Amino acid sequence: MTDTTSPIAPIRTRAANQAAPGRTPWKVEAVGFVLGFAVLALLPLLFGDTYARHILIMAFIYAIVASNWDLSLGYGGVFNFGHLALFGIGVYAYSLLTKLAGIDPWAGLLASGIIATLAAILVTIPILRLKGIYIILVTFGFAQLVMQVILSQSDITGGTQGIVRIPGLYWFDHNMVRDGKFAYFYIALALLAASTLFLRVFVRSRTGASIVALRDNEEYAISRGVSIVRQRMLTLAASAFFTGIAGAFYAAYQRNASIDVFGMSLATIILSMVLLGGTSTIYGAIIASFVLTIFAEWMADFGAWRPMITAVLIIGVMLAYPSGLAGMIRSVWDAAAGKFKRTA
Amino acid sequence: MSALAEILFGGLFQGSLYAMMAVGLALVWTTIGVFNFSHGVFMMLGAYIAWQLVELGLPAAVAFPVAVVVMAGVGWILQASVVRPLIGRPNIVLVVVITTLAAGSLIENGALTIWGPRSKQIPALIDGNTTIGGVGVSLHQIAIIVITPLILAALWVFLNRTRLGLALRAVAQNEDASHLVGLNVTALYGLAFAIAASLAGLAGIFMGGYRFMSPVMGSDPLLKALIVVVFGGISSISGPIFAAYLIGFFEAACSYYFGLYWTPALLFGVLILTLMVRPEGIFSSRSRGLA
Repeated sequence: MTDTTSPIAPIRTRAANQAAPGRTPWKVEAVGFVLGFAVLALLPLLFGDTYARHILIMAFIYAIVASNWDLSLGYGGVFNFGHLALFGIGVYAYSLLTKLAGIDPWAGLLASGIIATLAAILVTIPILRLKGIYIILVTFGFAQLVMQVILSQSDITGGTQGIVRIPGLYWFDHNMVRDGKFAYFYIALALLAASTLFLRVFVRSRTGASIVALRDNEEYAISRGVSIVRQRMLTLAASAFFTGIAGAFYAAYQRNASIDVFGMSLATIILSMVLLGGTSTIYGAIIASFVLTIFAEWMADFGAWRPMITAVLIIGVMLAYPSGLAGMIRSVWDAAAGKFKRTA
Repeated sequence: MSALAEILFGGLFQGSLYAMMAVGLALVWTTIGVFNFSHGVFMMLGAYIAWQLVELGLPAAVAFPVAVVVMAGVGWILQASVVRPLIGRPNIVLVVVITTLAAGSLIENGALTIWGPRSKQIPALIDGNTTIGGVGVSLHQIAIIVITPLILAALWVFLNRTRLGLALRAVAQNEDASHLVGLNVTALYGLAFAIAASLAGLAGIFMGGYRFMSPVMGSDPLLKALIVVVFGGISSISGPIFAAYLIGFFEAACSYYFGLYWTPALLFGVLILTLMVRPEGIFSSRSRGLA
């Protein structure tokens, strides 16, 4: 608190308490990152059947969406409730570009990410001057608007019927359909790895620190020369790119698009992943996505009781561990990395 | 003439329902500083409890008040279980969003399991129809239009003229000072939730006598109540009430001239514009960025 000589020091102090960007040495994190994804990459060898792979692919998609939401919600403190609309925009952008415009699926994937980013910049304009619950409302309204537009343009978008027979991805001459979802698994994993790498580098950068500073002490951060307009736009745009790509991948993988992606139920599930995992960690949201997706499958036998059991568990975890699953894991990690840190 | 009557009547009716919902939301928001996402589910549960009591053979005059009282209890329990333990945590606003969403999902799926997906209807307050200004309306709707302002007025008197109501407002204004003067803040939190839940339950009973009920019937009114609360501001109880009627009229006019399809989009468009042009008029305690 007394250190006012260094311009960045107070921001770092605050950030270290709450979000801890740059708290773990980057070499340690890199080793953990590579090890974690290596384990994930070996999973198809363990799970031979198509259905288990399908569950993992869905978990990867959810993990991308949830971890990108953590960037705006957790780090940025911007309650963007239109995040799933960005995912939906990715779904529809890919579907329309590849099916109607007939462009290459991979180019469509990239274009969907860019379109979602542009949409995020557009939605940032009305919320630049707003705070808290008002941001929730405007972004929620944005999601509703996007849904209404898609519904009303049913000639192109299929309206409530959705779009079917969307072109899938390809990999040279590899047969994507009869490989037990082998190729889709690795594409999903690669997308998750790229997204996670991007998010972690972003939040550990100076820009990431300034975003956290804006969240924790807006007046002070502004007085230190951090632009709220630029940083907020940057945060939302950064959180949108891989979300849009995840939407495009989802459409390519499912081969159909429906208006359900804008529904409250999907938003609730993804939001519980972000909060259950613990905000401002990125990894927490990813872990919670795996846990919740696999848990939901594991409980498939419970039928109507499944959503109720999930709800009780979410409440239980939130009451017992306010910082979510990541809080539990981080304490273990810190204990293990404690020695390492002191010598580094 | 008939167009005006239709818009006026539709606006009054929808506005009444929105006002009942929004006031509860605003009450919880001002007192505890959280947003209750299970508020729509309260509405649904109130309607189903009333339906169940009528089905058991109770006359509507008994069943409806009992359902409202039961809803007060439900509100209290929900507050004690998923909101109170979180008070004092730094990220309470976000965490309460997810715990109340989860609790709402629990109740909604519970209702689906108990009562099934089949649509139900509860008896109207008054049977019969009439014609006013060339528009056919049911007496049930007229009863709602008349009763709602009375209930809202009673709530205003309670909050402004009784000791308990003033205590509630004191907690909303300054929690620390309320603790200092010896108010039981925990109990007042519960009371705010109980009042909100019973108002939502009553709105559900009103709606159940007019439209078919389903376990998801509360989600759209919740969304509308959210808009109303933000539009009208939260500093006083009259703000959301006026906004509720305003939005009721706006919706009625929109669906008359542009069709039901575009009404939600238009509503959100107007709202976003309002917030862009006058954010500080609605949310007074915010600080403006210099950029």
